[in-house]
Amino acid sequence: MIRATLILARREWIRFFRQPHRVIGSLAQPLLIWAFLGAGFSPSFRTPGMEQISYTEYFYPGILLMLMLFSGIFSTITLIEDRAQGLMQGVLVSPAPRMAIVMGKVIGGIAIAGIQTLPLLLAAPLLDIPLTWSGLVWLTGGFLIATLGFTALGFLIAWNMESTAGFHAVMSVFLMPMWMLSGALFPLDHAPMWLKSLMIINPVTHALTLIRTPLYHSPMELLTSSSYWWAGGIAITWASACLVLALWRVNQVERGLDPARFISQSPKGPS
Amino acid sequence: MDDFSQVPAVHISRLHHVYPGTRHEAPRLALDGVNLNIPTGAFFVLTGPNGSGKSTLFKILSGLTRPGLGTVSIHGQDLLAVPNRVRRQMGVIFQRPALDKHLTVLENFQIHAGLHAIPSHQFQPRLDAALAWSDLQTRLHTRVGTLSGGLARQAELVKVLLHEPQLLLLDEPTAGLDPGGRMAFMSTLRRLQKKRNVTILMTSHIFAEAEQADLVGILRQGQLLAMDAPSRLTARLGNEILVIQADDPAAIAHTLTNRPELSWQIHNHELRIQGTQLPTLMADLLQAQRARIQTLAIKQPTLEDLYITLTGRALTSDEEEENR
Repeated sequence: MIRATLILARREWIRFFRQPHRVIGSLAQPLLIWAFLGAGFSPSFRTPGMEQISYTEYFYPGILLMLMLFSGIFSTITLIEDRAQGLMQGVLVSPAPRMAIVMGKVIGGIAIAGIQTLPLLLAAPLLDIPLTWSGLVWLTGGFLIATLGFTALGFLIAWNMESTAGFHAVMSVFLMPMWMLSGALFPLDHAPMWLKSLMIINPVTHALTLIRTPLYHSPMELLTSSSYWWAGGIAITWASACLVLALWRVNQVERGLDPARFISQSPKGPS
Repeated sequence: MDDFSQVPAVHISRLHHVYPGTRHEAPRLALDGVNLNIPTGAFFVLTGPNGSGKSTLFKILSGLTRPGLGTVSIHGQDLLAVPNRVRRQMGVIFQRPALDKHLTVLENFQIHAGLHAIPSHQFQPRLDAALAWSDLQTRLHTRVGTLSGGLARQAELVKVLLHEPQLLLLDEPTAGLDPGGRMAFMSTLRRLQKKRNVTILMTSHIFAEAEQADLVGILRQGQLLAMDAPSRLTARLGNEILVIQADDPAAIAHTLTNRPELSWQIHNHELRIQGTQLPTLMADLLQAQRARIQTLAIKQPTLEDLYITLTGRALTSDEEEENR
């Protein structure tokens, strides 16, 4: 199981670096969005309680989260290609547990997100963000939970998709709005009530809290913060639920019906 | 048949499969009580029209689908009860390529070894042995996406040989290959069967391939219509058949209604007649029906003739293309 998981994760890793457009696209798009929105909004970004930080800085955890979202999406979108090419059938007929397919994607997704997030972390001192080594450990925890959630959610969606076009549609109307309504683009506190409600029930909002808070607070402050633990509980529940559902889904085997009930009435002609 | 072991490699009993319906589609019966025994070490080709249930049977045998009713045993082990144990004995090659085209040939093999838990120290000797069946020795570090169709198929074969399966399942493995590639692939399969005593179950539309098998099964509408050695199957049609091409074959057939020793089928513009004294009949028809006949010929029946007789349909244009 572990060997099968690691070999599938390694495949994700190799594939990622064999497709330069994917490396560039998944890294450049968040950086461009960060640069353009940061530059555009910073002069007018004045929100009570955050007067001392620029929009570029405010947006920084959101961009880290976007990288995690994108790596989850790009890792799992290959599932559709794998199934179309028959590669996934080859894995499914092997004696490896099907759980290895999900875990291979998740671990591969986490590794890719990690290598993409790393250069961006170097930008933290440039923004005067007081990130410490111990803060980095807590940030890593948030990173693992968020990437696990995005990859498992992407897996769940991609497993049922026939085409990448369908996945892009879901990405546009579901995954990207989840990110937009996480507090990545604007703070939750001053949003209209209807929007605020959506943001509160959005698990990604809480995942973002796990990314943003360690940038500014010491481990001791995190340990004593109920809102941090509350966010952690929700984000872990979301990521775990997505993982369990993905594992359950991948273990579903197509099953024929009892022929006694249909033989007399069903037309012949199959496969 | 007498050379084969008494223990069947594949034993299928009363296999039924009904696809669940959807909101727009009623449930469909895909397999309707299939019984099948494939002896260990046999080369078995399963053929049948599109929609006959071949793919469904293949999916069940490879463990991707569970049937509604019936049993499947592989070397005496219940596939449905212990699928993982049975999978270790099987090598499956799908019609669609199951290799990652972004990875090299060797990297694909390493993934397969990982999935089949092949011990690291056994990988290289097994790889060397499996590569001996291919022309891939110098292409291990080539990306699969750049291989020719024939070499890519060989890579699939080498990949499944790595875990030393006793049963090979192949779903139209030569689809898309040129005639040379097809012949080479089939010849490799035959050698594998003979040298390693591997049982081969292959689906195919190509009768030239089926003719090379030890056993051929013909499936139609989820039922196995016939299964036997190719020579015994074609013998069912007699020594010869008379094939007549005509605009109105029914009119010619009508003149034969008083000849009980003859039997015939009409497919599109073709009349196929089986019986005795066909050369005399040919001369008679040429004299009496000359104006209606475009071409006529007496030939030895082939598997294709039996297929058309049993399934009641000729090949589609795609299938004909593959048979060329």
